[in-house]
Amino acid sequence: MTTHDTLAVPARSQSLGRFGSRFAALAFWLLLAVLYGVLRPETFLTAGTFQTIFGSQQALVFLTAALLCTIIVGEFVDMSVASNFGFAAVLVAVLTVNEHWNVWLAAVAAVAVSTLVGLVNGWLTVLLGVNTIVVTLGMGTFLLGLGLWITDLTPVSGLPYDFAQIALHPIGSLPVGFYEGVALMLVFAYVMRFTPLGRNMRFVGANREVSRLAGIRVNRLRLGAFTVAGLIAGVGGVVAAAATGGFDATVSQSYLLPIFAATFLGTAILEPGKFNPLGTLLAVYFLATGILGLQLLGAAGWVSSVFYGGVLVIAVTISTLLHRRVF
Amino acid sequence: MVRPDRLPRGVPQALGSELSTPPRLRTGAVSVTFGRNRVLRDVGFEVGAGEIHALIGQNGSGKSTLVKVLTGLYVPEPGATVEVDGVPLRLPVRPLEARASGVAVVHQSLGLVGEATVLENMRVGRLRAGRLSRRIHWEHERAQAARMFDRLEHHVPLDTPVHRLSEEDRATVAIARAMQDTPPGGGLIIFDESTRALSRRSLEHFYEMLDGVVRAGTSALLISHRLEEVADVADRVTVLRDGELVEAGLPVTRRGEGELARLMLGRNLAGLSSGGGHARPQDTPAVELTGVAGSRLDGAGVRIAPGEIVGVTGLADSGYQDLPYVLAGVERARGGTLVVAGNPVDLAQFSPMAAIDAGIALVPGDRERAGLAMDQSVAENAALPRTGGRGSRLAPIRRRAELAGLAPWLDRLELSPRDPHAVVSRLSGGNQQKVVLAKWLARAPKVLALHEPTQAVDIGARETIVAAVKDAAAAGCAVLVASGDENELSMLCDRILVFRDGRVSGELTGSPGPDEIVAAVFSSTDRRPLRGHNEERGLVP
Repeated sequence: MTTHDTLAVPARSQSLGRFGSRFAALAFWLLLAVLYGVLRPETFLTAGTFQTIFGSQQALVFLTAALLCTIIVGEFVDMSVASNFGFAAVLVAVLTVNEHWNVWLAAVAAVAVSTLVGLVNGWLTVLLGVNTIVVTLGMGTFLLGLGLWITDLTPVSGLPYDFAQIALHPIGSLPVGFYEGVALMLVFAYVMRFTPLGRNMRFVGANREVSRLAGIRVNRLRLGAFTVAGLIAGVGGVVAAAATGGFDATVSQSYLLPIFAATFLGTAILEPGKFNPLGTLLAVYFLATGILGLQLLGAAGWVSSVFYGGVLVIAVTISTLLHRRVF
Repeated sequence: MVRPDRLPRGVPQALGSELSTPPRLRTGAVSVTFGRNRVLRDVGFEVGAGEIHALIGQNGSGKSTLVKVLTGLYVPEPGATVEVDGVPLRLPVRPLEARASGVAVVHQSLGLVGEATVLENMRVGRLRAGRLSRRIHWEHERAQAARMFDRLEHHVPLDTPVHRLSEEDRATVAIARAMQDTPPGGGLIIFDESTRALSRRSLEHFYEMLDGVVRAGTSALLISHRLEEVADVADRVTVLRDGELVEAGLPVTRRGEGELARLMLGRNLAGLSSGGGHARPQDTPAVELTGVAGSRLDGAGVRIAPGEIVGVTGLADSGYQDLPYVLAGVERARGGTLVVAGNPVDLAQFSPMAAIDAGIALVPGDRERAGLAMDQSVAENAALPRTGGRGSRLAPIRRRAELAGLAPWLDRLELSPRDPHAVVSRLSGGNQQKVVLAKWLARAPKVLALHEPTQAVDIGARETIVAAVKDAAAAGCAVLVASGDENELSMLCDRILVFRDGRVSGELTGSPGPDEIVAAVFSSTDRRPLRGHNEERGLVP
């Protein structure tokens, strides 16, 4: 006999609670914006602030999308996405500036390498059964080292102007990179919400054996998730290199914590208790608002560590509690 | 619900039509070797159309291995064949291909994902998408799912998450899901220990539905630990022992579970169903709980004399299963008193450590989560009560003494392999349960609190475990057994308390039998067979 008998929760209070937790984070975001607006109206309530918040987070959007791929199919957690992203960015810069390759060819090569890295991650974890965290942590550090080696420990810059247009070309008052990130997340959300592929991914994340017996090709799906994660990280890296005209290999490490903070915070938005693309996208801008406001209030460089670290702890806690309550 | 006159009969068709049509499932020469260990040798058997065919065998008999070959997890050696309706499947079996030929698998514990809805659980792996949009057509999926529930004549709300369904509805969903892959009146459903978490009432519902499915011509291959279930529902049985076929397709007609057990073990079981008999009621009670209130308990009480084995049972929501945990300090009670060997104990401050100090040992029901550290060795697990308790934490562990203390228990419980260094996760379920028991018996507890001590354990291991518990009782230990399994209770107990609404509602004394227990729990007439049996189904003599 089961000891976990389901408790009959009244449907109405359930849906009210659900509604509440869906939008609580959004309300908090609005509150934060109002607060900053009241405290620093002259700097916060400007178009520049708006542009900074929405125009500077492309890297994080791509990185969280990459992390979501593997997290949704139940792989906790891919630690290599940030380094993979950084390596792609560095590779474009080095191949173009130092090795004088055609920049577009370099971009394609960088994306291919990142995809291959994802495939190797997947091969090791899925087919050989090695622990995900350890493999990806090792792979991440390995790539970081490689990146430092090929750049001789110095930032590389000097990518051509028209290449920068793939990230910076303005549409409205925002760079095209913003729309690329939003489009990526929308497609991802569509796949998760409406297609058999998305549904199968969620089931593989929930129970592999059940999924296998239902006829889902579980290993292929997991391998695919790692590979696509590599692909997205690579594209993100190339776009980031284009936006800055070059790249510094050490920068990618500063993304590691914000990726996790945003992804876990995303489980508290729109679909409580579930990793979801749109919630994650909103979480990225939520975090950017928080940081920028604090900086405008005069906080120094340490604030981003405190903020992202604090949010990660709080977000994971909320995510765990929500999961317990919803399910 | 079924119209017997218009439907094909089960077994006669299965046996009589051998020449004209091929059997629903035929395996031939299936062998599997792990390393140097041959776990399955030349196994071939057939499942006929429209029958419930049971596959039984002890832990380690190769039964699970055979199932894993059929579901595609293991690769058999060259030469093996698996045929469905006479058409050979490619090996290793690919789930999608097997499904296309009409074979469905119901996974252990029904194989449903709790947080997903009924509809999602029904259709996952089968979802179709629009050509351009790749969107799922939910109306189509919904109609497909609804059609299955129509065929079963049982309806379950499609948009409810599965974890919010009743146990019976979950069983319905599992059967309906499997039926999608079987053509009407054909196909085969493999139930891989699917029913082990079901209560008696849900089992009846489950087999009532399955009976309808099978009468329509679909076959079922049932893998189950519960011999009483097999004896009740199966038409024919295939028996494996030590990786070899003992019987293939033996008709079950009127064979009791005793005879099935004999086939499975290759020997007779001694005293399969006798109660305790060691009670010394004249002594002061070894343990006495009164007025216990907790999350599901409301004024429950029990009094156990030294040497007495007392069972507690009831419906799933009656709270009986909380009692061993309250007694062991794991679940905090809101009120009530506990007296251990004449000494009152403060229940509000009670903890596992205090319980162990008072000589109370708990064998929890969830072996994998609460009973054992699965990747540690037998010896390390068994020594945990000593290394985890009070005492000099930093003194080195004396491994030799640890092993010496354990050795007699390994022999007593017939642990196989008899290797104290074996990693627990590699042992079969029955042997894992023996380790949990050895861990506590080695400490000679005064009170033993057991929760379903022989669940998912084969009949041989069950016998050993029951004997060990009775020996402990004979040595003066007071035993509390909480269980929903009437056979387990009747094998162990001197008397049984039946719970309702969190308190004791009745008592059965004098080593009650399984029928008596079930009748008291459901307070209905008596235990009806799981499936209308024998003459009605027209079995071959």
